[in-house]
Amino acid sequence: MRRRAQPWLGTLVEVTIADTLSEAAAALAFDAAFGAIAEVHRLMSYHDAASDVSKINQMAVGSALQIHARTATVMRAALDMNAVTDGLFDIACASRLVEWGYLPRAGLESGLHQGLARHQRNRPALHIDADGNLQKLAPVLIDLGGIAKGYAVDAAIDALQASGVAAACVNAGGDLRVYGETAFPIMIRDPRAPTQIGFRFDLKDAALATSGSYFSQRTVQGQPRSALVHGVDGSAVVNNISVTVQAPACMTADALTKLVLLSADPRHPLLQQFGATAFII
Amino acid sequence: MKPINLTALALAASASSSAFATQYLTVEQAQQVMFPDATGFRDVSLQLTGEQMKQVEKLAGLPARSVAWRVFAAYKGDAQLGSLLGYVVLDDVIGKFELISYAVAVNPDASIKQIEILTYRESHGFEIKSPAWRKQFVGKTAAAGLSIGDGIASISGATLSCTHVTDGVRRIAAIAQVALKK
Repeated sequence: MRRRAQPWLGTLVEVTIADTLSEAAAALAFDAAFGAIAEVHRLMSYHDAASDVSKINQMAVGSALQIHARTATVMRAALDMNAVTDGLFDIACASRLVEWGYLPRAGLESGLHQGLARHQRNRPALHIDADGNLQKLAPVLIDLGGIAKGYAVDAAIDALQASGVAAACVNAGGDLRVYGETAFPIMIRDPRAPTQIGFRFDLKDAALATSGSYFSQRTVQGQPRSALVHGVDGSAVVNNISVTVQAPACMTADALTKLVLLSADPRHPLLQQFGATAFII
Repeated sequence: MKPINLTALALAASASSSAFATQYLTVEQAQQVMFPDATGFRDVSLQLTGEQMKQVEKLAGLPARSVAWRVFAAYKGDAQLGSLLGYVVLDDVIGKFELISYAVAVNPDASIKQIEILTYRESHGFEIKSPAWRKQFVGKTAAAGLSIGDGIASISGATLSCTHVTDGVRRIAAIAQVALKK
């Protein structure tokens, strides 16, 4: 079992390879996995002025932009998730996070936040065609923090599989996926005592994501806030529970944690549609 | 009779009860991973001057924090005459719950080549805040006799930000610019 970790996506990303590869082959596989994570980071970081996300946030309403195929995949999934959750999951919550000091102020942000859902009643704020051309139709500030980590995990898993690794685990700060015949031990943090184990089990060939506000809660101008925003009413999620979702892919698991957290329903009918299950602790 | 150090015992017990601790790489492994072509590593640890500290703070926008920095130069060929491939700078950062040791590979032109986490340890906030708890880990590696649990399980939970590491890397980039650039 070889294990490496690097800082990406605002957290620590850990890659575990459970394979008797040669030292050289394992080194190449680690490079491929972290290379995929690094690419997702560069494309989707809110903080990096050269990322697709920054370009989308900076571009003028009415203009168009060719986005990377990876960004297009995540954006399509995010828009789809926004539609099927009736706006609960929303990547257009970034202006709230800016307001509460979780994200820095971007250059251009006039006429902000209505959220994707509110626009959708008339027309969507963003549209992506089949060739990855994105059009901005209304003022919007996006942050892919609630879905890109999951996608990055999937991308790293693809890279490891392509490198011929038989079994591996990729964990991006709690959003993780394992594949192969090996069962990987997983520990879920206790949301009431996050440095303790709340739950422990083995996971095989599946993705898992956990969301909670225990690490991001703080008081901003007398109000309790967190990095988790309710997509419809724009309020902060402030409680002492955590939601864990298991799904075939990590991008889905990551996004669905917000649905379960905001609906407080671990048996939400949409979960089945995505082949997912959930629990709250 | 040899006196028993109760404080040390209590600290050892609380540290081992920490739920999450992982060793990823030793310093030597990190050197090999980050400079696979190197044939040797030489200790070129730094003592920053007052003037250099000021420059680092100006460049990084952060306190320089320490005068002394552990640095290894990576060479291919003879350690004196061979070609310099770059540097490995070691650092530890302390968050609210976590203590992270990491290594930064720096190119000869002072640009950042790679970052690898060496060890990650978590405990209760009050333990992290205790200088004694931190002191038993800082600057140590497995080679120095530190043993931590099996460290095999993966942790799922709310995302813990790695701001401290990001800030630390920014500080090291500034140190490289001021004191290592060729």
